[in-house]
Amino acid sequence: MNLLDIRNLSIELITGDQNILAVDKVSLSMKEGEVRGVVGESGSGKSLLAQAIVGVLDDKWHVHADRFHWRGIDLLRLSIDERKEILSRDIAMIFQEPMACLDPTTSIGEQLSEAIEISRLTGFFWQKQQQREAEAIKLLHKVGIKKHTACLKSYPHQLTEAVCQRVMIAIALARKPILLIADEPTAAMENTNQGQVFRLLASLNQLKNMAILLISHDLENITHWTHTITVMYSGQFVEAGTTEQIFKKAMHPYTQALVDSSPMANLHLPAKSRLMTLPGSIPILQHLPIGCRLGPRCPRAQQDCVRAPSVSSFHGHKVSCHFPFLTMPNRG
Amino acid sequence: MLIFTLRRLSLFVFTMLLLTMLSFSLSFLFPGDAVINLSGAINVTPAQLIELKARYHTDSNIIWQYIIYLKHIISGDLGLSMASQSVISHEIMNLLPATIELSLVALFIAMFIGIPLGFIAAIRHNKLSDNIILSVSMIGYSIPVFWLGLLAILIFSINLGWFPSAGQISLLFEIELVTGIQFIDILLSDSPYKWQAFRDATAHIVLPAFVIAIAPTTIFIRLSRTSMIEVLQTSYIRAASAKGLSFKQIIFRHAIRNALIKIIRHVGLQFASLVTIAMVTEVIFSWPGIGRWLIVSIAQRDYTAIQNGLLVLSCFIFVVHILTDFIYAALNPLARDKKYGT
Repeated sequence: MNLLDIRNLSIELITGDQNILAVDKVSLSMKEGEVRGVVGESGSGKSLLAQAIVGVLDDKWHVHADRFHWRGIDLLRLSIDERKEILSRDIAMIFQEPMACLDPTTSIGEQLSEAIEISRLTGFFWQKQQQREAEAIKLLHKVGIKKHTACLKSYPHQLTEAVCQRVMIAIALARKPILLIADEPTAAMENTNQGQVFRLLASLNQLKNMAILLISHDLENITHWTHTITVMYSGQFVEAGTTEQIFKKAMHPYTQALVDSSPMANLHLPAKSRLMTLPGSIPILQHLPIGCRLGPRCPRAQQDCVRAPSVSSFHGHKVSCHFPFLTMPNRG
Repeated sequence: MLIFTLRRLSLFVFTMLLLTMLSFSLSFLFPGDAVINLSGAINVTPAQLIELKARYHTDSNIIWQYIIYLKHIISGDLGLSMASQSVISHEIMNLLPATIELSLVALFIAMFIGIPLGFIAAIRHNKLSDNIILSVSMIGYSIPVFWLGLLAILIFSINLGWFPSAGQISLLFEIELVTGIQFIDILLSDSPYKWQAFRDATAHIVLPAFVIAIAPTTIFIRLSRTSMIEVLQTSYIRAASAKGLSFKQIIFRHAIRNALIKIIRHVGLQFASLVTIAMVTEVIFSWPGIGRWLIVSIAQRDYTAIQNGLLVLSCFIFVVHILTDFIYAALNPLARDKKYGT
């Protein structure tokens, strides 16, 4: 049974005259203990997708899905409150820019301990405060912060980005989630800190069998950590498969372009030659192309591409393209 | 925190220096002899005038004169009122507490009504209650205070007879002046009619305080509404809701404090305009405060009173401003710390 099964999730931006379809029928499924990467350029709707899953989008956005199952429970049939209860119990999320996601006027200790559920604490009410504190310290140790007293007392602006992200992860772990959604957890972080955060996530995945939905714009960087990858472009589903399939046998021209633009996959290129990139840039929301949104930039585009392609599956490797690379493309 | 306090104190000292410079230069800018403007002694014999000139060192250069003037102020000698020939420092000590009382009560009314209403409007953003609160606040903001004061007297004290129309307390009650602030004096006094007096004083303050509070309330509504909307859109509120906190918890634990930080600085600024409104209102309601006294002094060309009244009133506004800064620092950990590089 899938942990998370989303079919045809669309997110619309409600504006005055005309609604904009920011995310167009994206499907996503996850198994227990799986690390899935969601890759796409900035503006491709990855973060929107993640926020729609957790349900923290504001009223401007309208979310619609054909199917939204969580561990076999059909969430669409539940009321909003019930859905929120299930989701906040089982799914935790960490955001990009951890410092902005911590309340600047509340100490880390308070923010961490308010995430700990009261029902988890056993004992009488006068013991609860102490238990809460012990639990908070335990959580900080789990994410590798050793100076717990100093950390609990400090305010977000007194810590570095990487420590803040660890605190965010600790807050996320407080509810013992089954799925952790990490929305570009290492954006604006140096390389060493990036590695630390990723290693922490990987160890949580292995030790606690916690599923992780890892959102990133950097395909090359997350391939080390993920089992499966979903590629998105401009709010549309592009391709999904195991990391191996995506990285070695990309079928969609866009995925192929992403792989081609990463230096690691192209070590055979002669020195100082240019990396392959797609011409143009991602379309803005106000002027989305019809049909396949990659159309104007796609090297393989033909007349059929003005209609949106349907998803075809090749041994679990799903691709949404009229003209996929069915054999391994010739790389020079 | 110590450095923060020292900075505020030095700001206070320098602003007071500038203010005294201004009031000192006023004595030269007003018509008449500078010494007489400073001292307020209008009916002096030539011999007394020579003595006055010696006291204010008019023969020395201007800087020395200013320093002597500062000495006079610090020792509490503010001269005589030109109109009544009474000692100004005594008059101010009698009148200022009444103004402090009235304006602080009005400020608290404005804050306790305005800020929660603004928060409610922000939480129900773009809904009916938001629109109602906004439009009512717009109406409240555009009503001139003197007209509102007269209307309030007409409706609530003449037609309905709920509240008295003038004064601070009924003349029947004899309350000894200790602090000057009526309510504290009443509580301190051992009169058998203490509680009746207290009720009477409360009835007297209701109308003027609400009239003064109307305009600042509407400003607080708008300020708190925009800052709350801003706060509700930040990532930490979104993160808090992803953390599984209920909406109520988010509002009370995170949103209100952060929104208050943005408002509290404006409270100090708004207080200056509140005092201006209070001056007009004091005239309408015959409130025995410094504002009414100052306006009467202007009508009487009482230059000494104008000078010193301005000085004292702006000093009071500034003290309130610094106090709000301290509240700001208490709420905001970012302001408490030392700043590096800024």
